[in-house]
Amino acid sequence: MTAERTVSIVPEAGLHARPASAFVQAVNDHESEVSAGRPDGDLVQAASMIAVTSLGVGQGDDIKLVADGPDAEAVLDELERILTTPEDELDTDDG
Amino acid sequence: MAERTLHGTGATPRSGVGTVVWYGRDISLPDPDGVEVDSETEVQRFADAVDTARAELESEREATAERVGEDEAAVFDAHIQFLEDPTIEDAVETMIADGIPAPNAVDAAFGEHIEQFEEMDGRMAERADDLRDVRDRLLRLLTDGERVNLDDLPDGSIVLAERLTPSDTAQLDPERVAGFATVTGGRTSHAAIFARSLALPAVVGVGDALESVEGETEVVVDGDSGEVLVSPDDTERAAAASDSGAAVVDESVETTDGRHVEVAANVGQPAELEAAAQRGADGVGLYRTEFLFLDRETPPSEDEQYEAIREALDTFPDGRVVVRTLDIGGDKRIPYLDLPEEENPFLGERGIRRSLDPDSDLFATQLRALLRAAADGDGTLAIMFPLVATVEELDAALDALDAAAADIEGRDADAVDLEVGVMIETPSAAFMADELAARVDFLSIGTNDLTQYVMAADRENERVDDLHDPTHPGVLRAIHRTVTAAHAEDAWVGMCGEMAGDPDLTELLVGLGLDELSMSAVTIPEVKTAVSETEYSAASERGDRARLAATRSEVHTSLDT
Repeated sequence: MTAERTVSIVPEAGLHARPASAFVQAVNDHESEVSAGRPDGDLVQAASMIAVTSLGVGQGDDIKLVADGPDAEAVLDELERILTTPEDELDTDDG
Repeated sequence: MAERTLHGTGATPRSGVGTVVWYGRDISLPDPDGVEVDSETEVQRFADAVDTARAELESEREATAERVGEDEAAVFDAHIQFLEDPTIEDAVETMIADGIPAPNAVDAAFGEHIEQFEEMDGRMAERADDLRDVRDRLLRLLTDGERVNLDDLPDGSIVLAERLTPSDTAQLDPERVAGFATVTGGRTSHAAIFARSLALPAVVGVGDALESVEGETEVVVDGDSGEVLVSPDDTERAAAASDSGAAVVDESVETTDGRHVEVAANVGQPAELEAAAQRGADGVGLYRTEFLFLDRETPPSEDEQYEAIREALDTFPDGRVVVRTLDIGGDKRIPYLDLPEEENPFLGERGIRRSLDPDSDLFATQLRALLRAAADGDGTLAIMFPLVATVEELDAALDALDAAAADIEGRDADAVDLEVGVMIETPSAAFMADELAARVDFLSIGTNDLTQYVMAADRENERVDDLHDPTHPGVLRAIHRTVTAAHAEDAWVGMCGEMAGDPDLTELLVGLGLDELSMSAVTIPEVKTAVSETEYSAASERGDRARLAATRSEVHTSLDT
């Protein structure tokens, strides 16, 4: 199953530091292959901290997520939660 | 003669001799052309190194979460994710399949991304440091490198390193270290300031030549000449070993005609407190609180700050500890505070300007921690506001202090043993010293910044080095004006810049009327001796001649005669 969605980034730090850690962790906790990128750019492996950090997406930027696998919707739900939660409310233990 | 002499920048006027211990990246990669690579073995070695590194990181994460806090431990999560990054794993395995040994493959795979992050700005560049840490950890495991424990070195070690960060120096046991030398860094680098505070012989900025000095070699580190002597001869060794500096004077000192001058220490981290006391400091004249905010991902809690200030106050039970409130901006950056990029950061939002807004919450927390520590600690606490330019700023800071006092339940704020003062660094503060002094207990002149701003000469720019000199009459007149204004308002005046620690200038400063001199711990004995040899009445005349001089050379002539 393939799923796709575009999310606008809420954490102040953008996709860096803790939000990036939580993001990569969530990808690794699911079976689906996930790629991510700017809506008009190339997609990179979402399981790679280096690739995700290199996207350089900040607060307010859009990020496109594509998941392929049995839990595609579930992983996108979780990633959307992380990307739309302000950093100080992010509970990294959850998920 | 020593086998070789390397040149750098002396950080302390002291020499030490000892045995080299390399800290950090003491890793030599195999020659990739010289080895037959069995790719299966190399891939397995890489996988094992990743497993071990992960186990190390997890246990360091646990320890940090317990000791410091969950937020600070989060950096290890990022390291684990970089360690397990599929991009790195794929690149390393591809290179190994091409016949490249595992360590060289790791070095190359990380190197590419480190470079990529370094070219980006701000927060991204910090990720390069994370990647470097992870790379070095893997390389150490792959090359069987031993990681040196800085808190468990053999006696008489000379530590050589690429650079030393605040977290490195915090672990360093000054009792066992005879000195250190670094590849990078200048006189104002963290490592150099740390060395001066602990009176450790140190040479910084030696350059790549330092890398050629093998572990276990005997070296002399001469912080006076800025030289590192490799395999010194008997004379050189004996000269370095006998250099223990001037005798420590524990008592407070006065001039021959009875004027008391307090001699205090500048302190940048807790490890320096004991060293300051041992060098005979009467108290602390500048306690920089920035260290509490470094090397972490969130600001320290009120309790952490309270504990740190308590420790300082309890180290000097009969003395005074002047604590400067958070002074960031300028060249002092703290990643998680998200400082703006400014065209001229030294003329931008720094010091009290940030504390009043946008960091007013941090400021309130710090003031509460300080007030609680003042109430409970032994010594006298003095709070000092940095980079004040206007009376309005001082009034706002004093209001914030009152609000913090009102916040502390069940305590009588008036009963607290507390002094409040202003750091004089801007020309405006020197001109307004009378108005400022009328509102506080003391002024303290920060000569590094005051010189920079009075002379309009960047303290980091070598091309204007000649202008960045506090013995220009323009700076002396700003100092004199500040002292006179403070004394007219019954406020005491101190000095806490580099100038205060130069024993050749002690007589001049006493003559200009300074009541307190605060410096890196290393020269405290020399300055105390100089104070006790000074006759105030003669020094005062000399001070007048110096400040009335028209040129710097006339100032110097007046000092020599």
